[in-house]
Amino acid sequence: MSALQSPARGRAGGFADWIGAAAQRRRVVTEAFVDTFAAWGYEYLSTPLVEPLETVAAGVGGGLQTQLFRFMDADGSLLALVGERTVSVARVVSTQLQGVRPPLRLCYAGPVLFNRPPLGGRRREAMQAGCELIGHPGLSADAECIAVAAAALERAGVTGVQIDVGHADFVPSLLDSANLDAESRGRVADALRGRDLVAVEDALRGTDAGDAERELLLAFPTLRGGREILDTAGARISAPRPRRVLADLAELWDVLDRHGITASVHLDLGAVRDWDYYTGPTFELFSADLGFPLGAGGRYDRLLAAFGTDAPATGFVLHVDRCCDALLRGSGQDGKVEALRLGYSAGRAGEAPALAARLRQAGVAVALELEPTARHREEPVIEGMARLDDDGAVVWRYRGEEGRGVEALLAAHARGTL
Amino acid sequence: MSGGLRLALPGGALFEDACRLLSDAGVADIDASRFDRQLKIVTPTATVVKVRPTDVPVYVEMGACDAGIVGKDVLWESPRDCYELVDLRFGACRLVLAAPQGSPLAEGRFPQSLRAATKYPIAARRFFDSLGLAVELIKLHGSVELAPAMGLADCVVDITATGRTLIANHLVEVAEAGRATARLISNQASLKTRSEAVNQLAAALRRTVTAAAAPAAAP
Repeated sequence: MSALQSPARGRAGGFADWIGAAAQRRRVVTEAFVDTFAAWGYEYLSTPLVEPLETVAAGVGGGLQTQLFRFMDADGSLLALVGERTVSVARVVSTQLQGVRPPLRLCYAGPVLFNRPPLGGRRREAMQAGCELIGHPGLSADAECIAVAAAALERAGVTGVQIDVGHADFVPSLLDSANLDAESRGRVADALRGRDLVAVEDALRGTDAGDAERELLLAFPTLRGGREILDTAGARISAPRPRRVLADLAELWDVLDRHGITASVHLDLGAVRDWDYYTGPTFELFSADLGFPLGAGGRYDRLLAAFGTDAPATGFVLHVDRCCDALLRGSGQDGKVEALRLGYSAGRAGEAPALAARLRQAGVAVALELEPTARHREEPVIEGMARLDDDGAVVWRYRGEEGRGVEALLAAHARGTL
Repeated sequence: MSGGLRLALPGGALFEDACRLLSDAGVADIDASRFDRQLKIVTPTATVVKVRPTDVPVYVEMGACDAGIVGKDVLWESPRDCYELVDLRFGACRLVLAAPQGSPLAEGRFPQSLRAATKYPIAARRFFDSLGLAVELIKLHGSVELAPAMGLADCVVDITATGRTLIANHLVEVAEAGRATARLISNQASLKTRSEAVNQLAAALRRTVTAAAAPAAAP
C-alpha cells in the first residue's frame, strides 16, 4: 500500500502541524505577546478548552454559535470547544475572583476551535492571546488595551500595523436618531451587520431618514481618518447620543496620543462590529500584508452581567497565527535558530557536558552529540557544529550574529580560560 | 506589491461587461480577449485575475485579491466575509420558482409536500422559509429545468434572465425569489489598509454605472 493510500496518515481539514521554523515562530510570537501583557501588569490565567455550551453562548453572537465544535457530556448536557476565551475569563471573574478589588488585569493564551466547513481556506484551530481589563468604565481603560495590543505586536516584530478605532454605539445611535420606522431600521442594521452596503442603500431609499444621518450611513466606508473626522461628522449631527460618541472618541484619541501611538491610529466611524456584544469603543488591528485583522477588541460592559457580576470590562484578542502569517509575508525569511551541535573525540568526552552546560548558561542552544565523533582530517566541520578534538583544538563553525558570541566562548575554552 | 489593487473578475457571462466597466471607469485598460491566453494581467494601475465566478468571493475573503466583481446570485450561495460595496447594475437576472405548465403549483396552489431542484439551495431555503413552506431541496449543478420533466422534483428555483429556457422546458414562473446584478466586493482588511484605493475604485465604478444608466432613465 502506498503512503497516499494509508488511512492512518490523514489529518483533519483546517488543522495544521507546526514544525521547524513555523513552530518556533508561533511559540516566540505567543511568548512575546504574553510577556508584553505581563509587563503591563496583566496576570496570566489558563482556562479550559471545553466549556458548557450555554457559557460559550453568552459570549459569541448567534451566527458564531453554529461554528462551534459541540458534543455531549456524560449527563447529557451540551459542551463546546471554546471559539474564544473572553467568555471563560468572564466566568472566572464572576465566580472565583469576585472579592478582588477592581480593576482586574488578566491575560491568556491558548487555542480556540471553529467548526467551519473545511476546504474554505480558513483555519479551524487557531492560537489566540488576549487581555481583559475588568472593573473600570473609563476611556483610559480602553486606551490602555489599544496601547497594550500595539506594544505586543511591536515586541513580536510585526511592523506596519494599522489600528482602526471605532465605537459600537455610533451606528446604532445614528439609526435611532434617523427618522426610520422599525422595519427599515432593522433592514439597515441587518445590512450593515452583513457588510452589504448595497442593501443599506436599498433599505434607506424611499425612507424619510434625516438627510444628515442618511448621508453618514451611505458614506460608510469613507468615515475614517484622524481626529479631524470627528469635527466633520460632528458638524452634520445634532442628536445628543451620536454627539456623545464623537466626544468619547475625541477623548480616547487624546489618551492614545499620551500613549504615543496615534501615528498608527485611524478613527473609523463606520466600523461594523457585533453591536449586541460591544458597548463602547472598539478596535481592530491590520497589517498591509494580510487580508484578515491581526486582532480586535473593545468594551463589553454587558457580558459579566450574564454571569451575575455587573462590571464594566474592556479587552482584546490577538490572532497569533495571522500575526505569524504577517511576519512571514513581511520578511519572507523563516528565522529558525538551530542549536549548536557539540561533538567530541573519545578522549575528550569527559569535558563535553561541562562545556555544553557553560554554553547553555550563556544562552546558546546546544545539542550534545550522543556518541564520540570520529575525526576525519579531510572532512570539514559542518555549519552549526563544533568539535572538541584530541589535539586540544576546538573546531567550530557557527553562523549568525550569535555565532560570534559562541566563537568567543569556544576560543576561551580552547585557551582554558572559560 | 506593485501595480495597485488586485482585482478578481468572474469568468463567464459577466466577464466581458466587467472588463469593459473597468476600462470605461479608467480603473484598468484591459481587453477581455487578452485573458484567452493568460489568467493574470498586470497593468500599471491594477493586477487583474480571471477566476470562476464562485471563486471570486474566495479570492477576496482570503485577501488574495483586494476586491472583485461577482454576481449577487453567487454571493447568496457563498456566505463569505466580504464587504459588498456597489451595485454595478449589469448582469441582471432573477431567481424564480417555476413549475410545469398545468401543475397545481403553476396555478398557485401549494401542495402539502414539495420537492424543488435548484443550484441555489441557500437562497431557495430563505425564500421558502419566508413563505413558511417546508420544501425538500435537491441541489443540482446544472440543467435544473430538466428535473421536473424526469420526475426528480416538482418544481425548480433557478436563475432566469429572459425566461426563454423556462418556456422551452414547459415551465411557468410561479413567484420571484430574488433579483441579482453584478456587485463590487472588497476584502475587509483591504477596505481599511488600502481604503483610499478601494474607495476610489468604488467611486469610479459607481460614477460609470450611474452615468450609463442615466440616458435610459431620462424621460
